[in-house]
Amino acid sequence: MTTAAVDSHSHHAPPVPGRLLTRPGWVRVLWTTPLFFGLGIGIVTLVRWLADWNPVWYAQPLVAVELVMVPLGFLVGLGAFDYWAYYASGRRTRPEDHSSHGATSWRDYFRVNTDHKVIGIQYVVTTQIFFVIAGLFALLFRAELARPGDQYFNPQTFNVLVSDHAALMIFLVIVPVFAGLGNYVIPLMIGASDMAFPRLNALSFWLLPIAGTMLVAGMAAPGGGPSAGWTCYAPLCSHQPIGQVFFNMGVQWAGTSSIMTALNFLVTIITMRAPGMTFWRMPLLVWANFTTSLLVVVATPFIAGSQFFVMFDRVMHTNFFEPAGGGYVLGYQHIFWFYSHPAVYIMVLPGFGIISEVISVMSRKPIFGYRLMALSLLGILVLGFSVWAHHMFVAGMASWLRVPMMVTTMLIAVPTGVKIFSWLATMWNGRIHFNTPMLFATGFIATFVIGGLSGIYLASVPIDIHASDTYFIVAHIHYVLFGGSVFTIFAGFYYWFPKMTGRMYNERLGQLHFWLTFIGFNLTFFPMHYVGLQGMPRRVADYAPRFADLNLFISIASFGLGASTLVFLYNVIHSWRFGELAPANPWRALTLEWQVSSPPPLFNFEEVPQVVGNPYEYGVPGARHAILGVPASEPAGVD
Amino acid sequence: MRRGSLVQLTFFALVAAGICTAVALAIPWLPDPAGKEADRIDFTYWFVTVISIGVFAIVAAVLVYAILKFRVRPDDDSDGPPTHGHATLEIVWTAIPAVLVTAIAIVSAIVLAQNGRAGANPLVVKVLGKQFAWSFTYPNGKTYGSLTIPLGPSKKYPNGRATRLDITAADVIHSFWVPELSQKQDALPGAHNTLVVTPTRTGTFPVICTELCGLGHALMRSHVDIVTPAQFAAFEKGGSQTSGPPGLAVFQANGCGGCHTFTPAGSNGAVGPDLDKLADYAKTANRGPLATFIKESIVNPAAYVQPGYQDQMPHIYGQQIPADKLDQLVQYLAGPSK
Repeated sequence: MTTAAVDSHSHHAPPVPGRLLTRPGWVRVLWTTPLFFGLGIGIVTLVRWLADWNPVWYAQPLVAVELVMVPLGFLVGLGAFDYWAYYASGRRTRPEDHSSHGATSWRDYFRVNTDHKVIGIQYVVTTQIFFVIAGLFALLFRAELARPGDQYFNPQTFNVLVSDHAALMIFLVIVPVFAGLGNYVIPLMIGASDMAFPRLNALSFWLLPIAGTMLVAGMAAPGGGPSAGWTCYAPLCSHQPIGQVFFNMGVQWAGTSSIMTALNFLVTIITMRAPGMTFWRMPLLVWANFTTSLLVVVATPFIAGSQFFVMFDRVMHTNFFEPAGGGYVLGYQHIFWFYSHPAVYIMVLPGFGIISEVISVMSRKPIFGYRLMALSLLGILVLGFSVWAHHMFVAGMASWLRVPMMVTTMLIAVPTGVKIFSWLATMWNGRIHFNTPMLFATGFIATFVIGGLSGIYLASVPIDIHASDTYFIVAHIHYVLFGGSVFTIFAGFYYWFPKMTGRMYNERLGQLHFWLTFIGFNLTFFPMHYVGLQGMPRRVADYAPRFADLNLFISIASFGLGASTLVFLYNVIHSWRFGELAPANPWRALTLEWQVSSPPPLFNFEEVPQVVGNPYEYGVPGARHAILGVPASEPAGVD
Repeated sequence: MRRGSLVQLTFFALVAAGICTAVALAIPWLPDPAGKEADRIDFTYWFVTVISIGVFAIVAAVLVYAILKFRVRPDDDSDGPPTHGHATLEIVWTAIPAVLVTAIAIVSAIVLAQNGRAGANPLVVKVLGKQFAWSFTYPNGKTYGSLTIPLGPSKKYPNGRATRLDITAADVIHSFWVPELSQKQDALPGAHNTLVVTPTRTGTFPVICTELCGLGHALMRSHVDIVTPAQFAAFEKGGSQTSGPPGLAVFQANGCGGCHTFTPAGSNGAVGPDLDKLADYAKTANRGPLATFIKESIVNPAAYVQPGYQDQMPHIYGQQIPADKLDQLVQYLAGPSK
């Protein structure tokens, strides 16, 4: 495509005067949302009236249906379905004018935008907003836990804060932030002009704020918010106040978003790689997202099933998990963990990819054992599906099942160990630049090894019987999801910040942020191993007085950890506006995203790149990953 | 790898292992075990700890060495040696962890099998979890709000017995745990799970619910008294709960003793006010006659909070306890204090 052609496609269709109410956008949202709300009420009451079910006006089904209808109304108003509706109604194919592509002002981030780079930033900013909200929830309940007994919150509010902290961090921060970073980087890394399905991509993003709003809004529901923990175990969760339905449905919206993005990644990675980009030449981040997407596509429907069943138990009085009606209580846990254990890998494999990029580039060495690194991802993928019941060692499932589940769980340590050792070997003899991304990558290795080792303790059934459902679990999960995933996310943010914003972040503030986070993190979570083993259960608003001193210490440390985020936010916001302009390739990296300008052009590459070598050939004289300069074909969809 | 760097690396690893070992030994990470199962779990724990310290020391040593030796200044734009891998090394660090985790799995599986065996003639106690109290029913049909079990068989007490708990729940999932016994088992509504404990020392230890079960989860506590076989025989004969006043059954079924001291019920909880002093409290509170005051304090605990305590009693007992049982409980609590 010529430069002129790009320009002709980059301007947006001028707004048509007088059609404000029917044009896709926030004005249309203002009337489609109430319309769908009314439709929801109409359908429920009409069906109940026709079927002669009393009372006709009944809150449970109304809320459940409205939590589908209102978001649909919002999406229709925003224009997420416009093109498909036009196409499906059998009208003439509308030539793609790319009017919904790219961003020239901040307003373009608030509409259905099909540019993967805009969507990537939409994802990242949204997840950071929820990161701050969920972090504040944690600080609130740490304030409560600073002393034994009730301080600020009653047990209901406490349980809501704990449940929503976990649910938001998992479904609205860690899972989607990787989808966001992947969205921005992966098409660039494989030499594509966009994702395979840009409109689906836009829809995937807009489901996220819906899911997040639903989880937060549930807190204001009459009777209190979702308070059965993020695991939402039946039958407790079917007997909670109606805020629990907001949780059940919020998870569905986040899960749908996750599945659609994963399908998009898979098709993009399989079909849209640049010429010469074989699987064995793909950067490890692409491998990681490929593996993760396979996990998401297979596993996520299971959590959808678990949440639908448990909601049907309360709303429609089914008996999937109600023992009184012949239901199988443990069935919930099996279905739930069949997603939620692979979800742990969904939340960390893309991080592994980020760490591989950062360590190789910053150590100025090829990644050590590239093929084994990629194969170990696939090993984790396969084993990851065979370990779900290690969350249920004390649950009372068939006791023989515990030993095989223990063995598979232990074996996962092998491919994970391979990755750790290979990163260390990559650093060995390197010329290491300990800038902020590399500091977070190094800090990640240290904390993730601790989280991995405490995972070995928990994999051993007898030790797990002692430690299950205690603060030891809380310590372990935060060492793998905070010391693990969140550290990789920060490494990724700093690493690609110049590419995404076109500006450099402040290096000194970045390093300050790392040290505050690293120290605050360890002071907060390491003592939890001890209080857990000594006998403090998790998810309690009150605890035995002998744990008072350590809990006060943990709470103070957690406030320090929370404050470190302020440094990060200031650095990001200030650098985004006033930072030094970033060169195309500040890290002297070989992968393709660094071979185009910062930020990249609208369709990424002026010409389709020709991949000629491996992505990490640092120190190899004359080695090249790709040649840019082959004439390009038109991007898909141009008439 | 040069010889000098290997020596330094070994030195770092030894220092790291030394620090980790000191941390592992100086802090009493696990509670002092009170049962055979806990002893075995302790052994497994130390087995894993030794391996973990080894692995962590190696990783820490390489990280520290890399930070100290391989860092360059920001303006250094040289590249490292283009090493792509090393087949032998990659096989080694795949195989060794595989062997180590297999060893842990074998030890764990043996311990698990041993910890499930109750031996001949165990005492069987039925455990019922409900929101938010535990109750324990003995073979003789008597039910208590706390657990009393004998020491396991030993040289000193050849007539000791292991205890097999038959655990279930009335409403939602709870989880039975005694940290000193290290054994834990979920209580499921509509299903029965078993758990074996073989105590090795006498004492009173907390029983904790570890599965989120609703508003009163944090306060769903009881205790276990481990006694000598002779004391247990005496316990089995006397101390019947069913022969006591009807209010005692209500007291125990609702787990009041988990938080409150009340001598007639034999409870010594210290979370909430001391119920032996109810008459004094009623005078200070000045909220009507003793019985009225007690009832109000159960149904609406926030109405008056005894100085020195906090408003943390669950507000659920008004709905949870039927009216006739509530009257029995009020009468029982007011009675001995008159």
